[in-house]
Amino acid sequence: MNSESIREYATELLGRKNLSEDACELRFSFPAGFSFTPGQFVRFESHGLKRDYSITTAPNDKGIELCVRDTGTGHFSSVLASAEIGTEFRFSGPHGYFVYRPSTRPVVFVATGTGVAPFVSMTRSGISGYIFLHGVKHTPDLYYENLFRNAARIYVPCVSRSSDDAESDLFQGKVTDYLGTVLERRPYDFYLCGKREMIRDVTFLVDDYFPGARIYTEVFY
Amino acid sequence: MKIYTGGGDRGKTSLFSGERIAKSHDRVEAYGDIDELCSILGAVAASLGGKYPKVEAEIHRIQSDLMKVGALLSTSPDAPAFAELEKIEESSVRTLEANMDRMDADLPPLRGFILPGGDMSAAWAHIARTVCRRAERHVIALVDSFADRGHGSDYWKVLAYMNRLSDYLFVLARYCNHLSDRSDILWKP
Ligand SMILES: Cc1cc2nc3c(=O)[nH]c(=O)nc-3n(C[C@H](O)[C@H](O)[C@H](O)COP(=O)(O)OP(=O)(O)OC[C@H]3O[C@@H](n4cnc5c(N)ncnc54)[C@H](O)[C@@H]3O)c2cc1C
Repeated sequence: MNSESIREYATELLGRKNLSEDACELRFSFPAGFSFTPGQFVRFESHGLKRDYSITTAPNDKGIELCVRDTGTGHFSSVLASAEIGTEFRFSGPHGYFVYRPSTRPVVFVATGTGVAPFVSMTRSGISGYIFLHGVKHTPDLYYENLFRNAARIYVPCVSRSSDDAESDLFQGKVTDYLGTVLERRPYDFYLCGKREMIRDVTFLVDDYFPGARIYTEVFY
Repeated sequence: MKIYTGGGDRGKTSLFSGERIAKSHDRVEAYGDIDELCSILGAVAASLGGKYPKVEAEIHRIQSDLMKVGALLSTSPDAPAFAELEKIEESSVRTLEANMDRMDADLPPLRGFILPGGDMSAAWAHIARTVCRRAERHVIALVDSFADRGHGSDYWKVLAYMNRLSDYLFVLARYCNHLSDRSDILWKP
């Protein structure tokens, strides 16, 4: 990992693409000298505020992309969501230890909402064959669905609020419902990213039903 | 930024390497001791009151070594994450020895057993020494459980470091008293 070389960089916003009503993919220039391991994040700073964002691109991509949800109530995410193309930002990085650690065990990625971000980077870097659970409220929030459908051995979209356009493999319920009732009980390597309540609840499920498993976590919100 | 998830509310914790273990496990005892030792060293440095920046810098370096030791102890040796860690090297033991010898050269010869205490900084250094010994005992308990698995060497380096650090802290305690013009409190049985 690159934990020794955390530095500050300047970067320019190059593009924005909507992923859903309130989430977008932001493309930035790749600062000279910067490097990271898939799963790591950068810390943006603006107006005295610091906020962390996981990189969704692969390390050899020409740019850096983020997947940001405009929380509506917050400050920084709306700054990013509305910044003009060409705006310069500063970030420090790379930060974090939420990286893929190859092992002989089956791997389960669990994300809620924008918690997919580190898994997008890992997948774009060639990691595949995992079980992927994406917990969202509504189907339009299933960002990067095609990417994960192609790379995952099993892709489980877990939608907690019922929807009319239910796809055949859509799981009605939370990721914890799926883990507690459907997933075969084996010692997996679990990677959990997103909402703290999900991380806590999955951790307890693992303690109860998946003895010997490993858990790696990244709390976003 | 909130740092809690509550995942540890039911008596288990996650290692850096991802395993869930009881908070009463030897491994948690061991890195808990290292955490305690590191914090007490903060008290030693704080009680020097900014008057001896060289000693404080040395203490900060030891604290940073102990962060590495803590990370190593909170990682299962057979897990993939173990390879990512920065390990304690023998050079750190040599540095402790050199600094200990340098302090010792300024001290009057030891004339018997001494009672822990004197200046506040010396008193903290003695507490640090005893916690360091406890940490060492807990690391030994861990090593005993997997020495045959071929991961011994990094743990042996930790053991050497802890052993030397305990000696260093004894000398540091005397040195702290020396800096504040206090002599050893000799034990009179
Ligand atoms: C290691 C790390 C990586 C992160 N990576 C990402 C990322 O890739 N994409 C991303 O959108 N956010 C990410 N976040 C969250 C991000 O740092 C900010 O907290 C978020 O953008 C909100 O900032 P704000 O100033 O707009 O609102 P704040 O005032 O900080 O928060 C407003 C509210 O929104 C909630 N919230 C924060 N982030 C989210 C989210 N992503 N989805 C739903 N609710 C949220 C908060 O809990 C809070 O209640 C990450 C956080 C951490 C710690």
